[in-house]
Amino acid sequence: MERGQKRCVQHVVLLIAAFFALGLMASPADAQKKQPIRIGVVSPVSGNFADHGLLERIGMEMALEDYNNEVLGRPITLIVADDETNPDVAARRARRLVEVDGVKFLMGGVSTSTALSVGAVAEEKKVLFIATNQNGDQVTGESARHYVFRTPPDMAILVRAGAKYTADNLGKKWFFLTHDYSWGHSGTKWARNMLGKVGAKEVGEIKVPMGNRDFSSQLLTIRNSDADVLVITVAGFDNVSLLKQMNEYKIYDKMKVWYTLMDVVDLFAVPAEDRQAYVCAETYYRASPEMEKLNERYQKKYPRAASPVLDTGTYNGWLSMKMLLEAIKRAKTADNVEKVVCAMEGLTIKDNARKSPSYVRPWDHQVLTEVVFGKVNPVQGNDIIDVKAYVPAEQVARTKEENPVNVGCKK
Amino acid sequence: MEILVLSLFLNGIGLGLVYAAVAIGFSLVLGVSGVINFSHGIMYALGAYFFWVLQGKIGFWPSVVLTPLLVAMIGFAIERILVRRVYGQDPLFGLVITLGFAMAIEELIRMIFGPAAYSVSAPSFAKGVLIFGNFVYPVYRLFISVVAAAMLAALWILVEKTNFGAVVKAGMFNPEMVGALGNNLTFLRTSVFVIGAALAGLSGIIAAPVWGIKSQMGTLILMPSFVIVLMGGLGSIPGTILGGILVGVSTSLATLIIPRFVDIIPYLMMGFIIYFRPRGIFGEQNIVE
Repeated sequence: MERGQKRCVQHVVLLIAAFFALGLMASPADAQKKQPIRIGVVSPVSGNFADHGLLERIGMEMALEDYNNEVLGRPITLIVADDETNPDVAARRARRLVEVDGVKFLMGGVSTSTALSVGAVAEEKKVLFIATNQNGDQVTGESARHYVFRTPPDMAILVRAGAKYTADNLGKKWFFLTHDYSWGHSGTKWARNMLGKVGAKEVGEIKVPMGNRDFSSQLLTIRNSDADVLVITVAGFDNVSLLKQMNEYKIYDKMKVWYTLMDVVDLFAVPAEDRQAYVCAETYYRASPEMEKLNERYQKKYPRAASPVLDTGTYNGWLSMKMLLEAIKRAKTADNVEKVVCAMEGLTIKDNARKSPSYVRPWDHQVLTEVVFGKVNPVQGNDIIDVKAYVPAEQVARTKEENPVNVGCKK
Repeated sequence: MEILVLSLFLNGIGLGLVYAAVAIGFSLVLGVSGVINFSHGIMYALGAYFFWVLQGKIGFWPSVVLTPLLVAMIGFAIERILVRRVYGQDPLFGLVITLGFAMAIEELIRMIFGPAAYSVSAPSFAKGVLIFGNFVYPVYRLFISVVAAAMLAALWILVEKTNFGAVVKAGMFNPEMVGALGNNLTFLRTSVFVIGAALAGLSGIIAAPVWGIKSQMGTLILMPSFVIVLMGGLGSIPGTILGGILVGVSTSLATLIIPRFVDIIPYLMMGFIIYFRPRGIFGEQNIVE
């Protein structure tokens, strides 16, 4: 071997030795430290609620930006799976995220039925799941689970926030229009529950299946009823059709309309003249200066998003991610799910851009913050709700007696 | 109560005419070419989207004229590139190829316009509502009922009163014989496919101000169209009209009695009709039996 060749071989050997030495110096703990934390997002990418799914994922990304995309020095990777707003598909995708991708944290979804199916997978696999945009009672009610948390208010909170005003100011004869699945049933159930308490009475109910586009027959029937108030629990694309058709059939000339829950994004899909209802909403983008700043950030970064202002879904995605990352910080680990679950309980987020902090109730894993009641503005532009009241969730949430579950770490 | 029933009945007829207008193109293509054209729904969606985009730029009437032409051109391209390859083959091939195309276009719509729903305003001349006591009927619904009826009538004249229609009808019975007699079977099939696409586009236009627009609207209209065609009989214009009106009126009136189950009514009716008359109400024997 020539001298030059010999030196070359020596250099290569030295390099390999240095590489191995560096490898030995790095401890397994360091290696783990740099491993990304994978969060599975089970959210609608297609189907009736695809636009809502996109909005909640935008919120999650905004929260990750706030944390420079890392927590405890580890980068965060989001893996999105389309739940198609179908509980079977959602469960299958969640299971895959856990078994194949190895995620320990799940979040997302806009339908109660998917929250229930993903929650069952989370409980079985012992991974933490945050339901980001599902309002049906069951999620933190009779189907509450140790590994499941829920960010948005349940329907009891929303309906109770608006029922008294509605009965006192809009009318006492209520007709219910209900989306025929678990969330819709929750809304009407609580509105019915409030009838006696606010001195109102029921004059009828029509349940409409999901995917209904034409409400003409239902609206004709309602128009011919004796109702003062039409109490609606309908959402998604169906609701966009409904908002248009209510004006088409001059429902507002005959009665007042109260939505037990309105997603602001739906209002932007219809012309100004179709916006005339009273609504309960989870958030309002002008609720506080901080919320307005969050809204400005959203508008700047996502000018072509489905909602021109910060929607509830986006806010809930943002808050859910923030809560999870704070809980991981609090637990000082992202590997021990049980510790993170216990750290979530009692967690209080003060910089939540709301009038009051968001608090995770330990015994049912329900997040409590204020909700909004107001009248939708039939004017062009972004100032879409004339807020009548911000109602703290603590005042109207189900009590332990009404919701006798205990899924907390401390039994 | 009588007024409500009358309102619901008339509402059902209006709805039924719109359903029939959407379904008729589907029925013709199936009757003439034997292709279960699952891209028909996406043509309906493209009609609504094109109209929505064009209306803001060139106004209502020019958009009404231009949109079906654009959709017809797309129909022409699909027929030439995809559908032509499956004529005479197992119907499953046609179903799969058109379904695949529809899914791709739906995704393309979602990529361009996003997953959000949009609404289209009714033209100013058709705004307002007719109210006589408890009887209510929106002017736009009356307008689209008239347009749908005119579409169906024009198609009926084309099929029943012209030479072209005679060949189309013959093609439904025995396409090979029609070809053997010197008629250009390829041209006939292309023409029917293009007419079907244009009708779907026009239906998308008239339905958009009522039901709004969203990327998956094409998929959602497919099943009712299929049900109406099976009930009325493949390729039959009167059958499709009757099927549409039966669906419209029964679902409308069922709101009074069993509002929760209105969606099941068309399927029950279809099952009943097909059990006793597999070819549909006006279906010809040699097409399905």
